[in-house]
Amino acid sequence: MEWGDTLVLRLENVGLRYGDGPEILRDVSFAVRTGDFYFLTGPSGAGKSSLLKLLFLALRPTRGTLRIFGEDVGSLSHSNLPTIRRRIGVVFQEFRLLDHLSTYDNVALPLRVAGKSESSYRRDVMDLLDWVGLAEKSADLPPVLSGGEKQRAAIARAVIAKPQLLLADEPTGNVDPVLAKRLLHLFLELNRLGTTMLIATHDKGLVRQAERPVLHLEQGALNLQ
Amino acid sequence: MKPGAIIPSTAASLTSLTVTMAVMCYLACLAIGALILVDRAVTSWTSGLSREMTIQVRMMRGTDIVQEVEKARAITAAFPGVVSADILDESEGAKLLEPWLGTRSLEGLPVPRLIRVVSDTANPPNIPALEEALLQVKGARLDTHQKWEAELTRMARALSAVSYAILLLICVSAIAIVIFATRAVLQANRHIVDLLHLVGARDSYIARQIDGRFLRTGLLAGFIGVGLGLFTFLLLGLLGGGSESGVAAASRGLLFSTPSIAIWSYGLLFAVPGAATLICLITARVTLMRRLGVAT
Repeated sequence: MEWGDTLVLRLENVGLRYGDGPEILRDVSFAVRTGDFYFLTGPSGAGKSSLLKLLFLALRPTRGTLRIFGEDVGSLSHSNLPTIRRRIGVVFQEFRLLDHLSTYDNVALPLRVAGKSESSYRRDVMDLLDWVGLAEKSADLPPVLSGGEKQRAAIARAVIAKPQLLLADEPTGNVDPVLAKRLLHLFLELNRLGTTMLIATHDKGLVRQAERPVLHLEQGALNLQ
Repeated sequence: MKPGAIIPSTAASLTSLTVTMAVMCYLACLAIGALILVDRAVTSWTSGLSREMTIQVRMMRGTDIVQEVEKARAITAAFPGVVSADILDESEGAKLLEPWLGTRSLEGLPVPRLIRVVSDTANPPNIPALEEALLQVKGARLDTHQKWEAELTRMARALSAVSYAILLLICVSAIAIVIFATRAVLQANRHIVDLLHLVGARDSYIARQIDGRFLRTGLLAGFIGVGLGLFTFLLLGLLGGGSESGVAAASRGLLFSTPSIAIWSYGLLFAVPGAATLICLITARVTLMRRLGVAT
């Protein structure tokens, strides 16, 4: 597989361990092209979240090669990380919303840190909040939102800057089936518009509905299903 | 809609830092005040001493002291660079000895007679030549106060050095405190900083969200410190009574001197908030960039 505009992720024999502990990921190898849509499945503790942490650059592999947008993560300097991270949207399993900021400010955060002015993104943020059903809650703080509302705010924050790669860790874990279906349609629509997707999930129904390839992680080893 | 502050000011309050920095600024003001007072006192003493000299004529057996004193006065007054040479009468001489001998009569005692010589500071007399000329007068000795001037200068230099050392120590302590406070703010907001990194924030952006608070802290603490410092000098000036010398008079001189001197004094004192702000801002920024740079 050649590098260029087409390859977004490439992992070759990637291994990860925390400190002196056992290896959480072992010889993980796979490649993701622009426009691909993958699900990442596996039992709890299989290393899904750790793999995602590697992919959104919160961790670096302890062995092997990880390339994101053609950049070798192992040799990437700290000052170059923001450039790569701005091309990646992340939905965290635990949401990671900032409790002191309104829902609106939380969703707008990636645009704000990229240096955009409030007037330039206000319309986009309000449209997206409306789409995920949070327009009425735009001024509310996260502690007063329900689990599902927090989930939607976290998804909105991940997609607001139109990332090239979207990584999501259990994005439908706290929403009802109707909203889960709407969110799936959002992900499929983003994918259709060119965003590469990798979604870690336990939701077999979601995987079935989407009919997309599945990367299955078990005991630290990855298989394509 | 104005976006909310990304780093909340409620996490890791900087009140303790403000109080500590205000105390540091207050001490800095006192040290600067001491520097100004010492400098001014030394200038005033040494200019007076350099301008004045004394000729002492001791009573010698077989000489008429009145004649010798007059002879010394005449020689000195005619000497180039001397503005005036006045003989102190016996009562003035006795007054100078009062601290040691009391008010008793000095009649019969061989008390030396003194001549006060005022020299032209722009064109001072040739001291060795004047000493040589005074050899014609029996028992005469020229005292130029050079020894006292040297002593005073040495003492003033020592006091200035101590003040500078105190200022340096204050700066070092302030830097250490700001580093500690910056780390505390970062630690208290670790989850926010991590998230900002993950959504693509650069270190400089995160640092800007935090160092504004340190700028305000430095400025506020600086003005509190200067305010307290000025109040202290005012209090010393008012409570010290009307004496013409001492700390009270010096404090009054610091606050209410001529405009040219006052501008200099106030300028130095009001440099303290500026310095405190710079110390807070630069130290916080450097600490933040170093700490943020070691994150993943």
